[in-house]
Amino acid sequence: MNDFSELEKELRKLRPTEPSPVLFERVGEALKNCSADIKEHRPVIRRWGGLETAHPWWSLGFGLAAAAVLTLFAAITIERRHEPQQTVAQTSPLPETRPTPLRTERSTSPSRFVPAGGTNLVYNARDEGLHFADGSERPVRRVRYNTQQTWRWRNPETGASLRVSYPSEEVVLIPVSGQ
Amino acid sequence: MEPIASHENWRNCFSEVAPGLLLFARQWVQSAADAEDIVQDAFVKFWRRKHDIRNRGLLYSAVRSLALDFIRRDARRARREATVLAEAEPVIEPHFELEDDTQSALAAAVESLPRDQREVLVLKIWNDLTFSEIGGALGISQNTAASRYRYALTNLKKTFQPQ
Repeated sequence: MNDFSELEKELRKLRPTEPSPVLFERVGEALKNCSADIKEHRPVIRRWGGLETAHPWWSLGFGLAAAAVLTLFAAITIERRHEPQQTVAQTSPLPETRPTPLRTERSTSPSRFVPAGGTNLVYNARDEGLHFADGSERPVRRVRYNTQQTWRWRNPETGASLRVSYPSEEVVLIPVSGQ
Repeated sequence: MEPIASHENWRNCFSEVAPGLLLFARQWVQSAADAEDIVQDAFVKFWRRKHDIRNRGLLYSAVRSLALDFIRRDARRARREATVLAEAEPVIEPHFELEDDTQSALAAAVESLPRDQREVLVLKIWNDLTFSEIGGALGISQNTAASRYRYALTNLKKTFQPQ
């Protein structure tokens, strides 16, 4: 016997309002039509590393593509900046004159960037509870992750670095089995 | 009753759980009609997958998910309605069949509880779920469900004094 038994008794005396009779008819109708619905609503579920995900990783794909384009653009830009300086030094009409050593000439391949790391910061993860994905036999737990992904490249010779950062959102559906 | 949901016994099962499910759905949506829509969708989905009907946590979890989806989808309409309702006379659809003033006071005390405590209370008292089932339905641990229930009763005891 706990301290709340009287209160619990009082609470149980409260009766929730009854559903309208129309609701029973509607449920009956919906159950009759459900087999047709199942055929019409066949969802596309993709598998990724054992998890079923409704989100096809578009954001991640777009992010990586954007990062690749930016990297390429940066590499081309840096290379173009170096080309005239090297030409001037090599085509000097006075072979005995040493060209003034340019700072950028210290590198034989100034545009070579090597990956220096990446982070995937999950700044929000929201458990949205169990869901019944249409057509799925089992319930799934839906978890929404908001992340900030950052990729870094560094030129070890010039010390230049490149960083690309972008937000992404992932919705992960985790299969749940009843016990 | 057959443990596996089949089309023959849905009416018996639904009549048993519908009042509690509706009350649970109305923890998120004010309108009884909206709550009935949510309950209908959840029950039909549960039933047509032929789940074990003893696995009630799944049914309540489906109601909760659909109610949260409904809130998100309907946020704009809710704001518009709130503006209209602010100007009009409020019409409150009761959650309970009230018989006297004591019950009215108790119902008001329940409705004033924080939502996380109220949903556990609703599942425990009017739906007879175990703390384990409640934990499964709400995505929390069994211990958290039990402590929220105790907090709810403690708060109710403070605010509600039977006459």
